[in-house]
Amino acid sequence: MDIIANYGNVLLILAIVFGTFMAWGIGANDVANAMGTSVGSGAVTIKQAIIIAVIFEFAGAILAGGEVTATIRKGILDAELFTNDPHLLVYGMMASLLAAGSWLLIASSLGWPVSTTHSIVGAIVGFGAVGVGIDAVAWSKVFQIIISWIASPVLAGIISFILFRSLQNLIIDTQNPFDNAKKYVPYYMFLVGFVVSLVTIFKGLKHVGLSFSTSSSYLLALGSGLLVAIIGTLMIRNIHLNPDENKDFSFASMERVFGVLMIITAAAMAFAHGSNDVANAIGPLAAIYSVIESGGLIGSKSALPLWILLVGGLGIVVGLITYGHKVIATIGTGITQLTPSRGFAATLAAAATVVIASGTGIPVSTTQVLVGAVLGVGLARGMAALDTRVINKIFLSWVVTLPAGALMSILFFFALKGAFGA
Amino acid sequence: MTKKGNISGLFGKSPISPLQQHMKQVHSCIKEFGVFANAANSEDWEKAKLAKLSIGKKEQKADVLKKKLRMNLPSTFMMPFSRRDLLDVLLIQDSIANITKDLAGLMMSRKMVFPKEFADDFLELAKLCIKTSAAALVAINELDELLETAFSSRERKIVDKMIKQVNDLEHDTDVAQEKIRNKLFLVESSLPPVDVMFYYRAIEWLGETADAAQKVGSRFEVMLTK
Repeated sequence: MDIIANYGNVLLILAIVFGTFMAWGIGANDVANAMGTSVGSGAVTIKQAIIIAVIFEFAGAILAGGEVTATIRKGILDAELFTNDPHLLVYGMMASLLAAGSWLLIASSLGWPVSTTHSIVGAIVGFGAVGVGIDAVAWSKVFQIIISWIASPVLAGIISFILFRSLQNLIIDTQNPFDNAKKYVPYYMFLVGFVVSLVTIFKGLKHVGLSFSTSSSYLLALGSGLLVAIIGTLMIRNIHLNPDENKDFSFASMERVFGVLMIITAAAMAFAHGSNDVANAIGPLAAIYSVIESGGLIGSKSALPLWILLVGGLGIVVGLITYGHKVIATIGTGITQLTPSRGFAATLAAAATVVIASGTGIPVSTTQVLVGAVLGVGLARGMAALDTRVINKIFLSWVVTLPAGALMSILFFFALKGAFGA
Repeated sequence: MTKKGNISGLFGKSPISPLQQHMKQVHSCIKEFGVFANAANSEDWEKAKLAKLSIGKKEQKADVLKKKLRMNLPSTFMMPFSRRDLLDVLLIQDSIANITKDLAGLMMSRKMVFPKEFADDFLELAKLCIKTSAAALVAINELDELLETAFSSRERKIVDKMIKQVNDLEHDTDVAQEKIRNKLFLVESSLPPVDVMFYYRAIEWLGETADAAQKVGSRFEVMLTK
């Protein structure tokens, strides 16, 4: 208790610094992957992608980031075991932030595919199990998270497969793809708006102090879906068939319609990413804050303060502006074979999966979900060549990142314990 | 900071355009044989030699394209068609250029001039074979549209028609070959036997280019039905 009383402010400031650094790292690196399919399909320019990402990453973090933050903050560890040593939880969460942050820095400088989510979960489990005791870890929750890492890309793949097949039947494989695109695309836009807002309203807004009844939630979601559809319809109204650009059918013109749709799905993707990944940075920060603020009480019911979400959201935005735009440009130009129709199916499937995961409070890897979604389009014969070596890399990143994050956080944990006293 | 760790590592280089490039190169090779055959027929060996050199160069370029495509096609690629079928189509395409080169080489070194009884028929057969190869190229060129539609039934029907066109043309070359052989048979006893032997061979090889073009079409069809 004395430690918290004596060093509380120092620890909190350090935690804010670490958390901001982590959020910066997510903005600098991770966002680019989320935006990759949008930029790569050529439907969204790099500048547009950055503007969309800034707005919607932030909105996602604030409006829908609460549930995953709660999981990272108090779902992975059994907080009751820390009742007598609340400072250990503070050390551990700080160690986790440091470990995940430095591991990401090392790994990405070596070009390894690592996920912030895996690093932070590995780190928290690591210090919990070794630094405190095996029982400190809520293993059932951890297994649930790990299973979701396999399930989420698979789910995204299934959704994108179905979405793309529906596009093929309703639009692509018809007499007049262009007209049908204009006819059906607003419905897909409605779907984007509806799914994202429904999950947000049900699960996210309560963390910022707003709550709605079930019926008004649905009405609100319907309303936002309609709003998105109307905006989209207005946007595609001015797209006209250009016979010069087409071969047998009107595919090139059709793709331009999807290009507009892509702007909306890119926004949904940024929102989804913000809602899930910002928690990696601010979940530990929130845990530290609640211990210090309550003077060492564990499990106090204090709500997640808005400023912590703001720290996360701003950190991501700053990371995006200072460094992320370069990575977006690199990735965007690296992906050339994605057309807007494919990009749309994959991005929407990924965004929906991630938003649902966010609503359930499960931290998933946005990049890997997106990989699953693109593979789903590939299975529907929509892509020319996908390198499945990426799947091995994903497995490898699980195998390497979890122990690496754990090991580093254990080291930092004992270092902090030595520095500030046990 | 990021290298292969990101989403772009997922996207391999599409083999579609390289396959089309290769077929285009192969076709330009056999097209050059038309020039060569005309030059040889009018015994303009200077011109024929130039055409033969050009055929050789084009065949070599096709070879380079073939190797490049193969190198960029790791077995980990997930494609809308089987890798095996794609490589088969590529090999058969390449064989058109190979046969053309061998044929031009044979005719050049023997300074082969066909007897007037069927010289025009031979030129006609060459034209037909070039046409067959052109039809196969048209079908292969439809591959990017096929991908755009994710191999939809509508687009498949269009390609089926194109492949039928290749088959019909190949059938025409068979008929033309038979006609030449019949004419050759009538006069073969009056010609030097070694010449006759190589006339038969030249006709056979030329016909083989059309056979290969047809095989390109049918293998392509297999490739599409995954």
